[in-house]
Amino acid sequence: MVSSRVIRNLKKEFRQSGLAKLGLALVVVIVLTAVFAPFIAPHNPTDQQLDQSELPPIGFSETTERTSSQMVDGEIQTVTEEVEITADPDHVFGTDGLGRDMFSRVVYGARTSLAVGVLGTLLAASIGVPVGLLAGYHRGRVDDALMRIADISLAFPSLVLAVALIGLWGRAAVDIPDPFVAAGLAPEMPESFVLPITVVIVVGLVNWVWFARVARGEALSLRGQEYVKASRALGADDNTIILRHVLPNAVTPIIVLGTVQVAAIILLESSLSFLGFSGTTLSWGFDIAQGRDYVSSGQWWIASIPGLAIMLSVIGINLLGDWLRDALDPGIEGEGGAA
Amino acid sequence: MSFGRFVLKRSLQGIGVVWGVVTVVFALRFVTPGSPINAVAPLDASQETRQAIAAELGLDQPLYVQYGQYIFDLLRGDMGFSYIKGQDVTTLVFGRLPATVELAVAASVVAIALAIPLGVISATRRNEPVDYGATLLSLGGISTPNFWLGIMLILVFAVEFNIFNTSGRGVNVGDVALSFVGPEPVFGTLLTWLAYITLPAIALGTYFMALITRLTRSGMLDELSKGYVQAARAKGLPQTLIRYKHALRNTLIPVITVLGLQLGTLIGGAVITEAVFSWPGLGSLVIDSINDRDWPTLQGSLIVIGTSFVFVNILVDVVYAYLDPEVVND
Repeated sequence: MVSSRVIRNLKKEFRQSGLAKLGLALVVVIVLTAVFAPFIAPHNPTDQQLDQSELPPIGFSETTERTSSQMVDGEIQTVTEEVEITADPDHVFGTDGLGRDMFSRVVYGARTSLAVGVLGTLLAASIGVPVGLLAGYHRGRVDDALMRIADISLAFPSLVLAVALIGLWGRAAVDIPDPFVAAGLAPEMPESFVLPITVVIVVGLVNWVWFARVARGEALSLRGQEYVKASRALGADDNTIILRHVLPNAVTPIIVLGTVQVAAIILLESSLSFLGFSGTTLSWGFDIAQGRDYVSSGQWWIASIPGLAIMLSVIGINLLGDWLRDALDPGIEGEGGAA
Repeated sequence: MSFGRFVLKRSLQGIGVVWGVVTVVFALRFVTPGSPINAVAPLDASQETRQAIAAELGLDQPLYVQYGQYIFDLLRGDMGFSYIKGQDVTTLVFGRLPATVELAVAASVVAIALAIPLGVISATRRNEPVDYGATLLSLGGISTPNFWLGIMLILVFAVEFNIFNTSGRGVNVGDVALSFVGPEPVFGTLLTWLAYITLPAIALGTYFMALITRLTRSGMLDELSKGYVQAARAKGLPQTLIRYKHALRNTLIPVITVLGLQLGTLIGGAVITEAVFSWPGLGSLVIDSINDRDWPTLQGSLIVIGTSFVFVNILVDVVYAYLDPEVVND
C-alpha cells in the first residue's frame, strides 16, 4: 500500500513544488486551529456584547451616523452626528452585528467546516468504495444497477438534493462535549461542539457516487491482472481477492478523490449554512449570511472575513490534492468530484 | 454501430434515467414525516380541503395506482397543484425556467470566453509569469464559494461604485432582442439587461472559468507533447495553426464531456446565486418551496432540473460522437 517508492515520490514532488508546501502549511494551520480552537479563540464565539457591536477590524475605522435627542434652547431636538468608530485591539477581526468577536467565530468555524468535510467524505467513501469495488469486480447485473443509480443521482445537483433532503428531514445536530473545556483548561469557551449531523449524512449520501465511480473503474481494470487471476486459480474467494488485492491497489486514486471531496464538501456545507439549512450557527457560511445584511450599510468585514477563511481552507486542501495526485499517480485525471 | 443507432440507444438510456428521476421524486412523498396530505396541504387547511387533496392525489388508492397516475399526469404535462402558491406547478416551474437558463447560459459564455484563451496561453507559456497568474486565478476560482463572491461583487461594484443592480432581473433577454427590431436600435434595454445580469453571471461563472482553464491547460500540455504536433512542427506549419487548429481541437473534446457532467454543479450554483441576487429563477423557487413546505412545487422543480440534466448530457454525447466517431463503436 504505502511503499517506499510512494513516500519517495511524495517527498520529491514536495521539494519541487512551492504550491505543495503552501497547501500543506494551510491545511496544518486549519487543522490545528480547529482542534485547539478553545485556546486560540480570545473570546467565546457566542458571547454577545451589544455595546461593542459592529467594530471594524484592526487597521480600519468606520464612520457612522448616530441620532440622539438633545436639549437645544429648551426644546428637544433630534441631532444626527457623524461618529467615527475605531477598531478595538481586543477584536482583531472586529465584531459582528451582535458584538460577537469575529476572530473567535472564524476560529470555531474551522471546526464545523473540517468536521463536516472529513466526516462527510468518510461516509461517502464508506458507501461508495465497497459498492464500486463489488460492481466493478463482479460486473453483470450489480454493475448495471449501480451505473443506473449513479446516472440518476448525478441528474440531481448536489446542492439541490442536499437542500431538499434537509428540508424534508429537518436540521438535527448533536452536542459533542469539548474535552478541553470539560477538563477546565478553557473555562470561558462553549462547553460543547455542535455537529450538524443531518448535514454530514446528507453530504455523504449526495457524494458517495463519485467514490463508487472511481472504485468501480479501478476494480474493472484490476480484475484482469495476472495476480488477481492467479489468486483466483489458487482458490481464493472473491471477497478475499477484493480485500487483499483489489482494494490496496485502488487506494491511491481513492485518497486523491477523498482530498478533493473534503474541499468540495466544505464548499457544500458553507452553501447549506448560508441558505439556513444547517444545524449550527457557528459556521462560516452562516456568518456570511448574517454579514450580508450589513453589506449595504458599510460593515463589510462581517461577510468578507469568513469567506476568506473558506477560500484559504479550500485552496489549501485543493493544493494538497494536486500534490498527492502528481506524486502518487500522474495518470489520474485532473478534475473529479464536483461541489 | 451507426451514428443513428448510437443516438437512438443513448436516447433510450436517457428515458430510462428520466424514469428513475421521476420515481425518486415520487418516492420523496413518502420520506416526508407524517401523512402525505400534510406535505401538500397548507398548515391551516380545512378538513374539506384536506379531503379534496387526498382524493385528488388518489391517496385512497393502492400505491401502484398512485404511481401510475403520477406518471400518466406527468406525461400530460400535469405536475400537480401548489396549494401554497395557488397555481399550477407546471405553469409555475416553466414560468421560472427561462430566467435560470438565461443566467446559466450567460455564466457559461463568460466562463468559456475567458477560460479557453487563458488555458491555451497558460499552456503555451508554461512556467512564465502569465502561467503562474492563470494557475493562481483558477485555483482561487475553484476554491471560492460563489455566494460569497456574489456578495463581494455587490460590495465593490454596487455599494462602493454603484454601477450594477444587485436584485432582480430587470428585463429578459427576449425584450433586449426585440428592442433592436425596428427603425432605430435602442441601447437602453441592453444596458438595463447588462446592469442586472453582469454580477450574477460573474458570480456563477467564475468556478467554471477556473475549471475550464485548468482542464484546457492540462489538455493542451498533453496534446502539445504528442507526436502529431511534433510532426506538424517538423513540417514547418505555423505555431498558431498547430496550437489553435490541431491541439486545441483535440483538447476541447474531453472538456465538453466534463462540462456536461458539471451541468449539475451549474444548476446547483444557480440556486444559490439566485438567492444572493434575488434572481427570479428555478433556484429561488426550489428554496422557497422548501421553506414553505410546498412539496408539489419542489417535486416539479426537481423533475425539470433532473430531466434537463439528462437531456443536455445526451446532447453532449451526441456532439461528442459526431466529433469523434470512434466513441460510437465503444
